[in-house]
Amino acid sequence: MIEIKDLAKTFAYDKKEAKKKKGKTVTDPREGEGVFHAVKDVSFSCNAGEVLGLLGPNGAGKTTTLRMLSTALQPTSGQILINGHDVTKEPRYAQKQIGFLSGKTGLYHRLSVRENVAYFGRMHGLSRQQINERIEKIFTMLDMHSFAGKRADDLSTGMMQRASIARAVIHEPEVLVFDEPTTGLDVISAKTVLDFIQSYKGSEMSVIFSTHHLHEVEKLCDRVCLIDLGETKFFGPTEEFAASTESGSLYDAFLASVNNKEVA
Amino acid sequence: MWLVYKKELLEILRDKKTLIFSILLPTLIFPVLFFAIGKFTASKTEEAENKEIKVAFVNAVTLPGFADLFTREKGFIKVELESDDYKSAILDKKVDYIFEVPEGVNLPADSKKQEVLKVYSKESTRLDQIMGQRVDEVVDAFNNTQRMELGRNFNLTTDNVKAFNKPILIEENNFASQREKTGEFAGPLLAYLLIALAVSGAMYPALELGVGEKERGTLETLLLTPMSKGQIVMAKFGVIFTASFFTVVVTLLSYLFWVWIFSFAFEPSGVAADADSLTGKQSGGGLDFLSNISSLDLLLVAVLLVPLTSIFASIMLSASIYAKNMKEAQAYMSPIFMIGFMPVIVAFVPGMELNMKTAMIPVTNVALAMKDLIKGTVDYGLITILLISTAVLAGGLLYWTTVFFKKEKVLFRS
Repeated sequence: MIEIKDLAKTFAYDKKEAKKKKGKTVTDPREGEGVFHAVKDVSFSCNAGEVLGLLGPNGAGKTTTLRMLSTALQPTSGQILINGHDVTKEPRYAQKQIGFLSGKTGLYHRLSVRENVAYFGRMHGLSRQQINERIEKIFTMLDMHSFAGKRADDLSTGMMQRASIARAVIHEPEVLVFDEPTTGLDVISAKTVLDFIQSYKGSEMSVIFSTHHLHEVEKLCDRVCLIDLGETKFFGPTEEFAASTESGSLYDAFLASVNNKEVA
Repeated sequence: MWLVYKKELLEILRDKKTLIFSILLPTLIFPVLFFAIGKFTASKTEEAENKEIKVAFVNAVTLPGFADLFTREKGFIKVELESDDYKSAILDKKVDYIFEVPEGVNLPADSKKQEVLKVYSKESTRLDQIMGQRVDEVVDAFNNTQRMELGRNFNLTTDNVKAFNKPILIEENNFASQREKTGEFAGPLLAYLLIALAVSGAMYPALELGVGEKERGTLETLLLTPMSKGQIVMAKFGVIFTASFFTVVVTLLSYLFWVWIFSFAFEPSGVAADADSLTGKQSGGGLDFLSNISSLDLLLVAVLLVPLTSIFASIMLSASIYAKNMKEAQAYMSPIFMIGFMPVIVAFVPGMELNMKTAMIPVTNVALAMKDLIKGTVDYGLITILLISTAVLAGGLLYWTTVFFKKEKVLFRS
């Protein structure tokens, strides 16, 4: 179970950036005096067995929120709880409980798929036997045995993404965070990822799924959280969000809820 | 930490570029190229020393014995000029040197005055200069006979002539040992080599483990594991340090190996002599010179590299982590290399020596100490001070790198 309450993250501009911004008309309401409020007020929760869709336009603050959840960034204020444990106070606990996958998180190109996955298993303190057993299970689930010995730099995009999923779940985390995992994937590879997420529905895992593909949200997510300009604009059941417009379409609901002006 | 260290090292070793730049290039390709160039230079020099020089004389009858001296000397051949066009004859390589004896010139021993001859040639290359030296040697021999003859004509003894020739002759009695004299030259060379290798050896792994990880997205993955940032930095630093130190040690060993091999393979006048000239020994290869240096001194040279390599590993890792991309990181590396090398150049400015003050100057102190260790004139007390000051700096920089690595602004700089 994940609970995020009144989360905020502010970045201070460095001297060069501050000088560049000085005197210019402020186009983004998140810009402050020498600072940028990337996340101003975000709150949501995700229960065990639930898939939560994290929506929002580019630059809304989704990735910053997820980076705070994964302990890579420290929140300026607010609270993130995983099973009641405060992430900022117990980062090691959080790191053990979270499996994180984004389009940006990569693999070590000169290690084989198996070596990559095993390495992260070791980093999470698993024994060799545990690693072997879990690799066997995950590789079967994701149909990865045929390229398990291949070096990561020889993999196709789809293979790479499956290997990244295996890397993210090797330590059997209770919270899975997928940050735009199907971006750049072909239909078949994307389906593999989506099927994998689907398989966790109803399990003991909490899954946060950030995406721009609304059809994926419609298919997978029990609830959605819409973030725009660093704030939660909607948090609730997917059907309720879609029903907020006359057409009942998630697409229309999304467009109606977000600031349509692109911020510079 | 050990887990990250082993993984990073494995990745570095699996990288063909690392193997080529850190191992193959300094251990095999550079020495072979170095010795091949040495061999080529030596053979060209030998060719110039043995090349038959074509000499022509104009109106040499007034200087009896002058032309004969050349014809008697091995490697000279007297040729007859076909025309008065000296320039064409020389440029067409029909003749190398033309000596023209102007009208009225006689043997100096007879005229009792300095006579002036004209010589025509084309000396533009180093090889031409070597041939020119051979010609000068013959002219010097002729001058010597004339000098003695003049002395006799003026009723001077041989000692009188010597006095005229060189009023004061300095007989050198240098108490500096051969090791000191050779070390004065070889020490800086070794320091340059080792420090350059240490810096360049750290550069590629630093780029790979810092900005390389950032670009591939593996750094963010690594940060999400239960490993602390401090441990991650230490592991990365360890790999860069290992790679740098390994490059230095392997290159040195390969250099010694190749010197040994080439000492056997070639005549002393050839490549081995060139290799010897680097270490200042007349025969027996560079290993003979090194045999004069105690194991403790050699060990200290290696020990000095530990804090030095740490300094560069920390600076380069910080720059690499700070950079947004590989291009930016590479732009930082060249100034680091240049600035890092300045203190080495300063160390070899005449008058610079290892003392209490210079022992505190980073990099300069190591270069000076290496020179003194090779020369055998080192003050071991100063080495201790140097090691402490450099280790403190290296430790400080490593701590700073760790702090730097923990900054969100640095890790997620975009």
